[in-house]
Amino acid sequence: MSRWLAGRAYLRLAAALFVVLLAVNIALNPVRFAPASLGVTIGLASGLILAAIASMPPILAGRGGIDISVGPLMGLVNVVVVRWLVEGLGIESPFLIVPLVLLLGLLSGALNGLLATVLRIQPIVATLGTSLFYAGITLTIVPSPAGTVPAWIKALAGPTSILPLAAVALLWLLIKRLPFYEQLLCVGSDDRAAYTAGIPVTLVRFLAYVLAGLIAAVGGLCLTGLIGSADPNIAGTYTLLAISAVALGGVSLAGGRGGLVAAVLGAADIFLLQTALTFFNVSTFVLQIVYGTVLTVAVVLNADRLRQLLRRRRHA
Amino acid sequence: MTEKRAILTARGVRLAPGASPIDFAIGPGEIVGLAGLEGHGQDMFIQALCGLHRPEAGEIRLQGKDGHVVQVTEFAKAAAQGLAYLPRDRRTTGVLGGLSVFDNFAIAALPDHQRLGIVDRPRLKEKLAHFTRELGMVYRSPSASIGTLSGGNQQKVLLARWLAREPRVMLMNDPTRGVDLGTRMKLYEVFRRLAADQGIPLVILSSEIEEILQLCHRVLVFREAGLFAELERDAMTMDRVIAAMFGQEAA
Repeated sequence: MSRWLAGRAYLRLAAALFVVLLAVNIALNPVRFAPASLGVTIGLASGLILAAIASMPPILAGRGGIDISVGPLMGLVNVVVVRWLVEGLGIESPFLIVPLVLLLGLLSGALNGLLATVLRIQPIVATLGTSLFYAGITLTIVPSPAGTVPAWIKALAGPTSILPLAAVALLWLLIKRLPFYEQLLCVGSDDRAAYTAGIPVTLVRFLAYVLAGLIAAVGGLCLTGLIGSADPNIAGTYTLLAISAVALGGVSLAGGRGGLVAAVLGAADIFLLQTALTFFNVSTFVLQIVYGTVLTVAVVLNADRLRQLLRRRRHA
Repeated sequence: MTEKRAILTARGVRLAPGASPIDFAIGPGEIVGLAGLEGHGQDMFIQALCGLHRPEAGEIRLQGKDGHVVQVTEFAKAAAQGLAYLPRDRRTTGVLGGLSVFDNFAIAALPDHQRLGIVDRPRLKEKLAHFTRELGMVYRSPSASIGTLSGGNQQKVLLARWLAREPRVMLMNDPTRGVDLGTRMKLYEVFRRLAADQGIPLVILSSEIEEILQLCHRVLVFREAGLFAELERDAMTMDRVIAAMFGQEAA
């Protein structure tokens, strides 16, 4: 364990924050964090956690890689599942809905990947384009909150809330053992050196976007379970929260450094902060101020530059 | 070198508009040097040979791992077919700075070392240990950062990275730059062994003529983006190579 942590110093801040916030939350609201209600609590957080995991692969791939369409894609999945699949086609079986949702995620990821890596449009612009596109389609399909969902989707925010997270974690553990994962980190840490090592840089980056789309689609399904209907306005905020979570978790936005645990811890920190503050009935405006402050302080504390300065002062 | 036995051939390669076309072939066990004053085309030529630089005209062919002859147009594809390239600038295009010795070693050979798609770490670790002995690498542990190694040891890691892929041909761009004398001698020995024992042809671009004279069977001297002279082993002397670099026919 200590060896595992030694190579991951970037996790320290998020982990410390997690322990503190968890203790605060348990003290404030023992019922919610009792083992019996753990399913519901995880269900509340799983959308954000999956959004954070989804935004990570393009960031790991480096050179400005980012996917800001994660939130809008989750919203699109939400309305497509509720309005088209459940209400329109009358499909309720998980064995049809899950593959279709995953397919939507793959297609969206491939579109982002095509724009950002093959056509080499600035990733932030490319995914801004697709996110506006998704947000627009979402509003066209369902202009205002409506609809209901099958029981098994609702259960994803309750008793079975661990399932989608476990599935994504398993997927990630598998990916970590593939050559792709090593290549992703190499491309992220130094794409020129990766290229001269014979790594197909564009393909690796493309797959990072595909992975992002796939995981975001799972997140969209969890979100659907949580809100229990189609809501076109809720998912958009997830993008920025997810990127905040990733940064808070210590993932380098320059690429090459990060992992599943970092994204999950970062997202859990934001979620715990949220629940602690809402316990005091803090206004949402103040909530925003706190998010902003925590994120800025965290990123500053994680900054390599600051560490270098501190180290230099210690030696001097 | 007869075309039939050649592993890597270049035909009609023009490095700049108006420059004279270059024909080149290298076969098993050969060590060929590339020389010239800085910026006279030898660097472009070695990069063209591995697909990193697209020449104005001409084509490069590689007898690939599966026996087919493939055209070299893209580096990653050529690398998959057994072409290896050791870049000149170790720090910006060679080593992956933040990563460990093991990761730096394993990165190129990953596609060849997997079982059902899963990276075969134990076998890669064995190979690293093998090359560590073979090349006399010195480092604290496989998980040490590559940045803690000396220049010569970094170069050995890069060399091992490509040897792990069992290359058909190796191209090296100034492989002993910034490497101390002892390590340099060790590298020369390794190069000679690669060519003689394993029959891997080596193309070595060097800014040190002494190195070319010691290692190579023949040398191509570049001038003004073209091939100015080709000297065989018997004709290779310091004076002749230098004269050719300055565009003079030596006496």
